[in-house]
Amino acid sequence: MGSKGKRGDGGVSSPRSRKGEFPIRAEDYELMEPIGDGATAVVRRARCLPLGGEVVAVKIMNLALRSEADVNNASEEVKTMILTDHPNLLSAYCSFTQDENLWIVMPYMAGGSCFHLMKSSFPKGFEEERFIAFVLRETLRGLEYLHGKGHIHRDVKAGNILLDQHKGVKLADFGISASVYDSMINRNGKRHTLVGTPCWMAPEVMEQKEYDFKADIWSFGITALELANGHAPFSSQPPAKVFLMTLQHAPPSLHNTKDKKFSTSFKRMIGACLIKDPSKRPTARMLLELPFFKKVKSEDNHVKCMLNKVPSLVARVQTIKENEAKLQAEKKPHDKIKEKTSHDEYWRGISQWHFDIEDLKAQAKLYSEENDSDGEEYLHFLFELDTVDETVPLKDVHRQKHIVGNEITEMPSSTTPVPIPQSGKQLENGGPNGLVRHESFERHSKVPTKQLSRAVSNATGIDEYLEKTTIQKGRFKVTMEETEVSTPREKELLERIACLERMLQVTQDEIVKLKEKDAKG
Amino acid sequence: MKGLFKSKPRTPADVVRQTRELLIYVDLHAGTSGADPKREEEKMAELSKNIRELKCILYGNGEHEPVTEACVQLTQEFFRENTLRLLIMCVPKVNLETRKDSTQVVANLQRQQVNSRILASEYLEANKDLLDTLISGYEDTEVALHYGAMLRECIRHQSIARYVLESDHMKKFFDYIQIPNFDIASDASATFKELLTRHKATVAEFLSKNYDWFFAEFNSRLLSSSNYITKRQAIKLLGDMLLDRSNSAVMMRYVGSKDNLMILMNLLRDSSKNIQIESFHVFKLFAANKNKPAEVVNILVTNRSKLLRFFAGFKTDKEDEQFEADKEQVIKEISAL
Repeated sequence: MGSKGKRGDGGVSSPRSRKGEFPIRAEDYELMEPIGDGATAVVRRARCLPLGGEVVAVKIMNLALRSEADVNNASEEVKTMILTDHPNLLSAYCSFTQDENLWIVMPYMAGGSCFHLMKSSFPKGFEEERFIAFVLRETLRGLEYLHGKGHIHRDVKAGNILLDQHKGVKLADFGISASVYDSMINRNGKRHTLVGTPCWMAPEVMEQKEYDFKADIWSFGITALELANGHAPFSSQPPAKVFLMTLQHAPPSLHNTKDKKFSTSFKRMIGACLIKDPSKRPTARMLLELPFFKKVKSEDNHVKCMLNKVPSLVARVQTIKENEAKLQAEKKPHDKIKEKTSHDEYWRGISQWHFDIEDLKAQAKLYSEENDSDGEEYLHFLFELDTVDETVPLKDVHRQKHIVGNEITEMPSSTTPVPIPQSGKQLENGGPNGLVRHESFERHSKVPTKQLSRAVSNATGIDEYLEKTTIQKGRFKVTMEETEVSTPREKELLERIACLERMLQVTQDEIVKLKEKDAKG
Repeated sequence: MKGLFKSKPRTPADVVRQTRELLIYVDLHAGTSGADPKREEEKMAELSKNIRELKCILYGNGEHEPVTEACVQLTQEFFRENTLRLLIMCVPKVNLETRKDSTQVVANLQRQQVNSRILASEYLEANKDLLDTLISGYEDTEVALHYGAMLRECIRHQSIARYVLESDHMKKFFDYIQIPNFDIASDASATFKELLTRHKATVAEFLSKNYDWFFAEFNSRLLSSSNYITKRQAIKLLGDMLLDRSNSAVMMRYVGSKDNLMILMNLLRDSSKNIQIESFHVFKLFAANKNKPAEVVNILVTNRSKLLRFFAGFKTDKEDEQFEADKEQVIKEISAL
């Protein structure tokens, strides 16, 4: 059992026992610099004044930006965190509201997240397998506990694994965790909601089949690859493509590189997590019994050793910001898309997805009944964007089709396909979420060529594009309704594409939100 | 334990019986001066184990689905005696994990049927004082979230919801909702909402009988609260209650009062968009009322030009056809006065 495991540094009082010590008034905290920023909240370092300036982390959520359902989710998240007591899970000391904001006071994890640490100091992944094994084992203990309590975390990734040399390793962000015991679900504890971050999502989650704890095990396997390589597989791809790759290709696996050799036990562990059939994937408890984890020595303070080698979190945040500023300064004025790309890529690790597919379906239905031209208008925007990068040589187009696999390109189309110039390079460099559409959308094209050229001249900037897409929110049309379908396989693919489209829309909305928040400072 | 000394597998009823014995021990001895700390610790550990086992039988263990027959046995044995009372009373005495397990066990038992009878409901009806205990849990940060979750499951039973609605506890919810700890306040708020929306006929009866004090409190404590989230949730709940067909008599009474109208008009001008929109959904009922009392007409006429100017610029962030249609209707009504 994780909670009984020997702790490296011992004597750490659990947050639970300190509940009640922390004041529930904003004026008792002195806010300092931001240390994390998600889609819907900011996390800042803070001092708790009545407790002698003890450093804590405060997550501040603006409730005014949240719907009623989102506020309810936030309450559930807070309750789960308040009632969590495990050395490998981030809990909350207290929570209260201040004007329109919800404050959640939590332990401060001085090392920041693994994602962050890699971003600043280990872009190719952590060098020592011992360290990776330790971090993964601790994370797994947290997961084992959560699963035992009937919770699915649903967003396991390096960005949610926090480090501190005294407090160890903690899995954070219960923002979208779900309880299999709550009344929302059917009695055998399976869920359907499409939730998580695309690269880390298990195939059964993507396909919106029933899923359970095992979805977290897949994400855990992806996280292991992330720690070893510095990024998750397909992390530079747009979400729609991540979906196709995950569903259609063999599971990703760990390979030795020029600089790094990994042990067989590590490779096997990852292989076990990334079995596509969830029923064949091991549970957290079974994984903990694997040799890869058994050989981890608890006596060494791995986190401390690691953190001693790198600059402090504050300094690292500064470095990342400076690098981004430098990059930005080097940019040519018309190169705005690229800028978005790097920005989005940065955020992809920290932000999350969350949407209710039923709701979106309902919305799509609403709009398709309402006005057909709306859908058309939306497609125009897609093409405006696709054509921004029109200088790309044609051969790249072929290459890109090759990457995606042949199902899509083989698809018969009732309308004239318009070749969309798009660079393979763009895709490799992280086709920004939803900003560059990939070719599966060709078949929607009813747009005459002259409109395309108009679109090119109109695409003055990404901001304008984003503005337009916000207005278009919810106007997704399920294109399969318009297309003649002849085979079941085709129908299946079309359905999948419709689903991917909806996901893209949500990503775009999220970008808009981030962008807005950025603009506000 | 191996070989010869291997114990016989326990039946679900055995687990319940053992749990009950341990609860009795803990209830009597925990925290008392004469107790032997070592023995106490052992009993606590054993109790935790048993409660966890009850949970596994009721929910399955992640790999095995729960077995109906086992659940029935467990439920029967559980309500044959006072196990529920003991379990609730011992919540403050056990550790966090056992508290969480107990909460899940209590929640699950509310839905278990034995020969199409819900034993939990029958038990609670005969032991209503347990609800008093659960509700007053909101006053104790240590147990608030556990008792709150249990309570919300108990008021799924119509007779139990009625008991709570008709008790003096309803008045206390106006305080609980504004407890500074967000986690507890939002839990109380969820329970309050459940009480006032779940069992339609019971709610309609409660609101008619208690109209005066209830809406006086609702207006002055919640709708006029300085706390953003209290105000926002209250105005949403008010809309949900008044727009429910089963509460139409109450709605007519509410929209016939100029005091209520004034509160709603002030909320329309709230600095928060969410609150403005939710207030509009209540305000429109005043305007749409075919039999407006003179005092209501007076206020609307006096403020007509201001209201019309306000609505001209009043929009939702997302396009909302229904909202626009309602707004047109309201503008028409007000212009025609």
